[in-house]
Amino acid sequence: MEFITGVYLFFIFVSLYSVFLVLLIYLRNRHNLYFEKQAVKFYDISVVIPAYNKEDSLLQTVNAVKNLDYPQDKIEIIVVDDGSKDRTAEIAMNIEGIRFFKKGYNSGKSDTVNFGIKNAKGEIIAIIDADSYPEKDSFKKMIGYFDNPETGAVTASCFVRSTGKLIEKLQAIEYFLIAFGRKILDFVDSVYVTPGSLSMYRKKLLNEVGGFDTNNITEDIEIAWNILKNKYKNRMCLSAKVYTDVPDNLRKWWRQRLRWNIGGFQTVHKYRDSFFKKSLNMFGLFVVPRFFISHILSITGFFVFVYVFGREILQKTMYWIFSAQNGNTVLEVPKLLLTPSVFTFFVMILFAFTIVFTYVGLKTMNKANLGFKAGFTILFYLLFYLILYPLVLLHSLYLLTTGNFKW
Amino acid sequence: MARFTDLFWKALIFTLVVFLLGVFLGFALERNRIGEIEDEFQKIDLQWNDAKLQTLYYQNLQPRFCDSAIKENLEFSDRIYEEGLKIEDYDRASFLTTDLEHEKRKYALLKVEFWLNSIVLKEKCGADYVNLVYFFANDPEFEIEAEQDTQAEILKDLKEKHGKKLMLIPLPIDLDISMINIMKETYDITITPTLLINEKTKLEGLQSFDTVSDFIKNGKM
Repeated sequence: MEFITGVYLFFIFVSLYSVFLVLLIYLRNRHNLYFEKQAVKFYDISVVIPAYNKEDSLLQTVNAVKNLDYPQDKIEIIVVDDGSKDRTAEIAMNIEGIRFFKKGYNSGKSDTVNFGIKNAKGEIIAIIDADSYPEKDSFKKMIGYFDNPETGAVTASCFVRSTGKLIEKLQAIEYFLIAFGRKILDFVDSVYVTPGSLSMYRKKLLNEVGGFDTNNITEDIEIAWNILKNKYKNRMCLSAKVYTDVPDNLRKWWRQRLRWNIGGFQTVHKYRDSFFKKSLNMFGLFVVPRFFISHILSITGFFVFVYVFGREILQKTMYWIFSAQNGNTVLEVPKLLLTPSVFTFFVMILFAFTIVFTYVGLKTMNKANLGFKAGFTILFYLLFYLILYPLVLLHSLYLLTTGNFKW
Repeated sequence: MARFTDLFWKALIFTLVVFLLGVFLGFALERNRIGEIEDEFQKIDLQWNDAKLQTLYYQNLQPRFCDSAIKENLEFSDRIYEEGLKIEDYDRASFLTTDLEHEKRKYALLKVEFWLNSIVLKEKCGADYVNLVYFFANDPEFEIEAEQDTQAEILKDLKEKHGKKLMLIPLPIDLDISMINIMKETYDITITPTLLINEKTKLEGLQSFDTVSDFIKNGKM
C-alpha cells in the first residue's frame, strides 16, 4: 500500500468518525433541539453594542433591542463607539434611552466590549454587533439557561438578513447549518464559539476571566474557550434568532474568513496546554483536539488535493503540448476511471452523509424560510462554496506565519 | 465527559465497522479482478501455446501453411494488447493489494515470448508485418510519464491506421524480469519511451506519428 493511500484512508476514518458522532448525538437529542428553558426570573441585562463605522445599521440594531419582548426596565442599552470615522457617534448621541460612550480612539472590538462591560450594571451582559438584529422573543428564550449556575454563556441562531446576492444565499445556507451544528455540539457541552451577533454572558464570570482578550481577533471564539476552560458551560438556544448583515462580495467574505481562521489559530495556540487535558473534561478532551485536528486535516487535505489534482492537470497539459508537437489528436475526451475502487465506497458514503446532514440541518432550521431557489444554491454550496474553505485556511496560515495581518 | 462517553465509543465502533467493511470490500473487489485476470491468463496462455505450436509446426514441417500461423499470431497480438489495457485500468483502481504486479510480470513474459515468436515468423515465413516494441516504465518521472502517455496514444493511432501490418508489443522495463533485462542490454535501452522497429531501428524519446508511420510504410530500417 502506498503512503498516499494510507493518508486517504486516515482521512476517511476521521471523517467517518465525525459523521457518526454527529449522527448519534442528533439521534439521541433530536426531540430536544428546540427545547427552551423557561426563565425563573427576568435578570437585569446590559446590552453592549460595540460600534465601528456602523452609521447604516446602528439605529436599526438599537431599535430591535428596544422592541424586544422583555421587561424594558430590566434592559440597559450601552453603545460604545470604537473611534468611528463615519457618523456612527453622531447617530448614537441622538438615540434616546441608551447610554452612549465615545472612546475617541479605535482599539478593536474586544477592548470596546470590555469598555462597555466595565460600565454595565446588569447581572447578564448581552453582546450584540451593531449590524445584527435580535428577534422579539430571543431574550426571553435565552435567559432561562442562566438559572443553571453552571451556564456561563448562551448564544442564539444567527441568520442572514439579506439574501439577494448569490454569496448571501450561500452564507444563509451556511449559517443555517452552523446553527444546527452548534446545537448538536451543545448536547455534548462543546459550544466553542459565542458569536458577536447575539450572545449573553454572566457578568460575574466575565470579570473572573478578565473579559475579552484584546490580543485575539476572534474574541467570540476566545471567550467561549475561556469559559469552557473555567468549567462553565456555553449553551445554544436554537429557537432564539438574530439576523445579521453578512459580506456581500467575495473580497469582504474572504477577509472575514481570514479573520475567523487567524483568530482560530490564535485561540488554539493560546489554549494548547489544554490539549487532551482530562481535568478539563469536554474542553480538553474534545473541543481543543477537534479544532486542532480539523485544522491539521484541512491543511493536509488541501496539500494532498493540490498534489493529486495539480499533478493530474500538469501532466494533462504536458500531454496536450507533446501531442500537439507530435501530430497526435489533442482534443480527446478525457479518459475517466470508471473502475470502482475501495475509495468509491467511502466517497459515496461520505457524500451521502453530507447530503443527509445538509437536508436534516436545513429541515430542522425551517428551510422554507430561505425564500429563494434553494435547490440550486444548496448544490452550489456543496460543490463549490465548501471548496473555498481550505483555500482561505491556507491563506490564513500564510498571513499568520508571516505576521502580515491587521484588523 | 462521562455522560457522553458512550456516544464517543459507539461512534468509534460504527466507524470501525463501516471502515473495515469498506476495506474488506475493497480487498474483495481487487482480489476478484486479479482472479479475473488470472482466468484470462489461463485462456490466453492456452491460445498462445496453440499459436506457438503452429509456428513450430509450419516452420519445420509445413512451410506452405505459414499464412495460418501469421494470422494466429496477429489475432493473439490483438488479444494480448487488449488484455494489457484491462490490466492497466485495474492497476489504476488497485490501492490495497499488490498481487497485480505478479500478473503484470506474467503478461510481460508472455509478450516477450510473443515477440520472439513474431521474429521467427518473419524470418521463416517472410511475414510482412512490422514488429514495433514499445519500451516503457511503470513508474517513471513526471515528465517521462507525460511523454509515455503521448507515445502510447500515438501508437494506438498507428495501430488503428496500419492494422495487421503492425505488431505492437508494449514492454515494461522496470518489472525486474531477467529476460527483459537481457533485451534491454541487447538493444541498449536506457530511457523511456523507446521504440524498437523490426529489431533494428531504435528511436529514443517521444516520436511523432509521422516519423513512426514513415518507418512502417517505407520500411526505413
